[in-house]
Amino acid sequence: MNFTNAFSLLSDYAEPYAWFPQSASTFSETNDWLYNWITYTCLVFFIPIVFALVYFSVKYKKPKGTKAESNVAHNTILELTWSIGPSFFLVGMFILGARAYLDQRDVPDGANEINVQAFKWGWTMDYGSGVFHPELHILLDEPVKLSMRSTDVIHSLYVPAFRAKKDIVPGRYNYMWFKPTVANERVSDAELAAAVKETKDLGETWNYDKHQFTPDGYRFFDLYCTEYCGTNHSEMQTVVVVHETLKDLTDWISANSVRPDGTPPAEYGEKLYKNRGCAGCHSVDGSKRVGPSFGGLYGRDEEMTVGGSVKADENYLRESILYPKEKIVAGYQPVMPSYKGQLSDDDIYSIVEYLKTLSSGDAAK
Amino acid sequence: MSAGSIPKGSVVRDPGYPTESENYLTNSKGVLSWVFTLDHKRIGVMYLIGVTLAFGFAGLLALLIRLHLFQPEGAIFKGAEANNYYNQVFTLHGAVMVFLFIIPSVPAALGNFLVPVMLGAKDVAFPRLNLCSFYLWCVGAVFFIAALFSTGLDTGWTFYTPYSTTTDTSVIAATMGAFILGFSSIFTGLNFIVTINTMRPPGMTWFRMPLFLWATYSTSIIQVLATPVLGITLLLLIAERTMHIGIFDPEFNGDPVTYQHFFWFYSHPAVYIMILPAFGIISDLISVHSHKRIFGYRFIAYSSIAIALLGFLVWGHHMFTAGMSPLTTIVFSALTFTVSVPSAIKVFNWLATMYKGSISLTTPMCFAIAFIFLFTIGGLTGLHLGTLATDMHLHDTYFVVAHFHYVMVGGTLIAFLGGVFHWWPKMFGKMYSEFGGRLAALIIFIGFNLTFLPQFVLGSRGMPRRYATYDPEFAYLHQMSTYGALLLGVGLLVALVVLLTSLVKGKKAPANPWGGATLEWHCTSPPPFYNFERAPVVGDPYDFSNVEWDDENERYVSTEPERKLVPGETPEAVPAHAKDTH
Ligand code: HEM
Ligand SMILES: [Cu+2]
Repeated sequence: MNFTNAFSLLSDYAEPYAWFPQSASTFSETNDWLYNWITYTCLVFFIPIVFALVYFSVKYKKPKGTKAESNVAHNTILELTWSIGPSFFLVGMFILGARAYLDQRDVPDGANEINVQAFKWGWTMDYGSGVFHPELHILLDEPVKLSMRSTDVIHSLYVPAFRAKKDIVPGRYNYMWFKPTVANERVSDAELAAAVKETKDLGETWNYDKHQFTPDGYRFFDLYCTEYCGTNHSEMQTVVVVHETLKDLTDWISANSVRPDGTPPAEYGEKLYKNRGCAGCHSVDGSKRVGPSFGGLYGRDEEMTVGGSVKADENYLRESILYPKEKIVAGYQPVMPSYKGQLSDDDIYSIVEYLKTLSSGDAAK
Repeated sequence: MSAGSIPKGSVVRDPGYPTESENYLTNSKGVLSWVFTLDHKRIGVMYLIGVTLAFGFAGLLALLIRLHLFQPEGAIFKGAEANNYYNQVFTLHGAVMVFLFIIPSVPAALGNFLVPVMLGAKDVAFPRLNLCSFYLWCVGAVFFIAALFSTGLDTGWTFYTPYSTTTDTSVIAATMGAFILGFSSIFTGLNFIVTINTMRPPGMTWFRMPLFLWATYSTSIIQVLATPVLGITLLLLIAERTMHIGIFDPEFNGDPVTYQHFFWFYSHPAVYIMILPAFGIISDLISVHSHKRIFGYRFIAYSSIAIALLGFLVWGHHMFTAGMSPLTTIVFSALTFTVSVPSAIKVFNWLATMYKGSISLTTPMCFAIAFIFLFTIGGLTGLHLGTLATDMHLHDTYFVVAHFHYVMVGGTLIAFLGGVFHWWPKMFGKMYSEFGGRLAALIIFIGFNLTFLPQFVLGSRGMPRRYATYDPEFAYLHQMSTYGALLLGVGLLVALVVLLTSLVKGKKAPANPWGGATLEWHCTSPPPFYNFERAPVVGDPYDFSNVEWDDENERYVSTEPERKLVPGETPEAVPAHAKDTH
């Protein structure tokens, strides 16, 4: 069952997917070529080595006490050959690797710039003029530069389909760039509607792995954090969507820019809760995660680490979002990043309204 | 089957068997005679038990990791704390394997037993320091276990800042443990350097040392030079955590990448502390079990030293994506490729040694052959990682995990097992079941490849390392790997059972069961507590021309042509031991 699948995966040579994820940027072509070339070069050495190993073990296996056929101690020419010979291949690998690497460090002029903020455990992409979103949306065949910073520990942004990776180190800006060469399609409206309805019925957050498209109906490439960053490191994932046309991209951005007219604040607040990384640390069902649960939070008396308690009213909630290290609830660590400058007043208002819906009537008084 | 014959008229040299009062295992009795022993052999045996326990513990944790990864959403740990438990388990697995098992395994356990005996000496230069190293190891181990049972450690064995300065787990206990273990390692290294420099017997010039001693010597140099840097780094880390001195934590104007430089400046050389002794073991195993002079002795010896020195210059390759300047990055890539040359040289030399030899496929030889296969894969995949462009894709994925397991497990662990099977008769005076030993080697070989080959594919397909849960498309390969790990576990268990039953049921071991020519085969099995009555005559360690198989007693013996007992009329101008040079 699983085994046969795994082997067909390994043996399926013609299918590039066997060794690599889909190739979707200008880097992936170079990378895959170089990777294969190194692998074949290695095989040129490995196969004869293994052949010799096995052949000698069989051919020269002798009964105990037999003397060796030869006792040659060294052969300088032979030894120099096998010391120096492989070096040519090594120089080749070094040069090709370094050239392609410089290409990855050299951002072309006119690349679109997106600011990326990494935090425990999520991502915020800044599309300018107050539009933030956890997904990375970019344009086909246009180079894009990411300026990345971290608010807490080291993270690393990795898109396997682009073969690109860069650490995000707190205390400095790190940058990377790439040029996507494959656009992501949209699924049909019917399929999207069914998935949205199913998610809503189950009362879950959107499951990217299960549906294999975003809540807006786009197929995507995976984006992972690859520098170990603590408890939920493995959940620090998001997606990259490559849009085919500029219009499609700007439409998506403006659709996400502000609270659409007519959307109730609480409903929009729920969306922000799921999208902006709150859900990574705060549950809504009362269970304790990295941060206190939002279930019943509004109106509750919170015990502080410094002693005393504070009633969780609108102002407390607002302060906790903008200056999270000011008041720490007993039993938790000051690990939450500040959302100052990343949420508009209306966003905060919407979130607070959403939190109110999570408390029963009495407590909210 | 035998073709051995002892030439007529030659004198057989064989020390026979030790009496109970000579045997180092039995010459004094009681727990205290072990606790306060200064005998390097007993200290070696205690280390062997210690590192085996550490390995068993960390091995069980490894199985837990693999079982958890059997399913994308995690199969073992459930609930809100699942990820947290997973992180603690992989941290402890890595830290115990590196600091408590691999680093001390060959140098401290086998090295302690063998270095003085191979030198024909009675003990190491500083026996008390040696015992002290062992107890430091024990204290360090206690700190590690304490870290587990207090709040758990979840930083990964690398303790990267600023995660390690901000997490509320017991980083300080664990770093104190690593600090103390560092001293244990420094003392052992110091002891071996002095021992090898000053206690070689007459006639053993540098180039007449067994290659195991060369490897131990180069390892010791790294231990003494690199480990203090780890010590300083860990102290700075503790200072940063407790006093916020502002060196590693950006919140206080420190730089986390500085920590990585400090850490890898030790830890890269440390990977050579792990592999060089393994090279030494394999050089000796291949030569002895092929009954043939080692090919290219000097190239192997020099390449050990070259690796020890070059190993200090390549630490930056662990940080290619961390944001060093492109120039620095490229220089480190170039230097990285230079280390691969001396490793390749050794592989070719081992093969040339087997060529036209007289190979016995004994258990140690099976491990040595497995080693060459696995280490070659480990070394070659280092090339994908040393090449900058491909490392951008592969860094911090399962490809790296597979690469370093091929060198550390496929390399060091397999060599260690080969060494244990090779010197077991010498250490305990018992022969084990050859069939059992070879079976264990086979199961381990298959299990290991099944565990780690799929991980290369996982990595190049983009699976990040240190993930407690993962995307469903990686599940098949993870499951293959888990089956492999279980098989590997079975193989290791078989090896353990084979060795332990030999202690009870094994046949008495002769002084020289394999036909080795180095000095440890010239004393009884097990050696007497004083090793040698007087400094033995040193021959060529790889000259097998007068080692003969004695079929009747199932042992190898050294023979020499009959000598006239009455000296000649005129004394010889050159003493006999200085004449048989090459
Ligand atoms: C031909 C020789 C070798 C080359 C060219 C090589 C190259 C590399 C490179 C470039 C990396 C960094 C990859 C990355 O993090 O993206 C790496 C990682 C590693 N290598 Fe090697 N290597 C070689 C041999 C060894 C040996 C002999 C050992 C140990 C016995 C070893 C142990 C490790 C370990 C432990 C890591 C991962 C460390 C970590 O990130 O936790 N390597 N190697
Ligand atoms: Cu992260």
